[in-house]
Amino acid sequence: MSNPYEILGVAPTASLAEIQKAYRKLAKQLHPDLNPGDKAAEEKFKEVAVAYDLLGDAEKRKRFDAGEIDASGAERPQHRYYRDFATSDEGHPYADSSGYADYMDTDDAFAELLRRSEQARANRRGRDLHYSLTIDFAESITGAGKRLTLPDGGTLDVTIPPGLIDGQIIRLRGKGAPGTGKGGPGDALIEVEVRPDPRFTRDGDDIALEVPISLPEAVLGGKVRVPTPTGDVTMTVPKGSNTGTTMRLKGKGAPRHGGGHGDEFVKLKVVLPKGPDPELEAFVSTWDRKAFNPREDGAS
Amino acid sequence: MIMTKQQFLSSTEIEVQTLEFWIEQQWLVPDRTAVDVTFSDTDVARAHLIRDLKGDLGVNDEGIDVILHLVDQLHGLRRAFAHLHRDIVPPSR
Repeated sequence: MSNPYEILGVAPTASLAEIQKAYRKLAKQLHPDLNPGDKAAEEKFKEVAVAYDLLGDAEKRKRFDAGEIDASGAERPQHRYYRDFATSDEGHPYADSSGYADYMDTDDAFAELLRRSEQARANRRGRDLHYSLTIDFAESITGAGKRLTLPDGGTLDVTIPPGLIDGQIIRLRGKGAPGTGKGGPGDALIEVEVRPDPRFTRDGDDIALEVPISLPEAVLGGKVRVPTPTGDVTMTVPKGSNTGTTMRLKGKGAPRHGGGHGDEFVKLKVVLPKGPDPELEAFVSTWDRKAFNPREDGAS
Repeated sequence: MIMTKQQFLSSTEIEVQTLEFWIEQQWLVPDRTAVDVTFSDTDVARAHLIRDLKGDLGVNDEGIDVILHLVDQLHGLRRAFAHLHRDIVPPSR
């Protein structure tokens, strides 16, 4: 980098006030946002800004004059200038066509071209707005109608489709921010989170759960109530069921893509009464325990 | 990138009172339709311009109004010019 004194056009003996004045004068001429069409202005401005960072700080200037530091490496943090965005066609609230509005009022071809480009900009679709919603596990399987209260006090009715997956995004066409002119509104995008249910786990279209049964129910069979996303049902436990026996409740899972529903798989778990039960002990002691050894196939 | 008020304040290094004043003056027009006030990259770049004008260039508040209005008109003209250029000049082969 060249000499910062030369860049600012001041003498090495210049006072701080003179340096500030010189910088301000150059910044007014060279600031990239005051020169939107001049690509070179940014480079020149950067040099001037770096020179000012060095000489406008008494301590840094002293060290530079003493030869302890040089002007390199004194880069300013980079940021993008307003001019990089302001001319773009993307809608922003600062766009202003009043500088040529009078030219659009005439009948010639030039005015027609101006009007056409103005219309293209004026008829822009509104932005998509993002929301989030949490639903229960059962609602994710059966579907539901939900009402979302918006920050501005409005509401949005959302239909949760049956079989929705955690994190799925529902698009409500036309419920986003309004557009300009004939551009039409954007969409509302709702990310749906499914609140886990400690009883159920989902595996694709199927769901699974574990149901505890008593010893008599396991040995003799019986009817037990089992929860499903659509409410409790009565299930027949066959005689001789065991921990790990899995029963299938057909069609109680989530809807399948090709039609029909997945299944609910119910895994049985034999549970003994809590604490010592003298009656059970007395009964079991009469049972010929040697007849059955679950470990004889090497399980333990 | 869409950013929150907090992200905007840390990105532009301006005080919250300053931001409120700039919004009041309509020098900045954040988006109010979403969950809260949100800011775009354009707003950040515009805030840098306002900060440079007030700080480095010594422009007073009245001057900021005038400059922003003229700068926005200039960009409107540049955009119209770009459209005309695109419509009139055939793309080079």
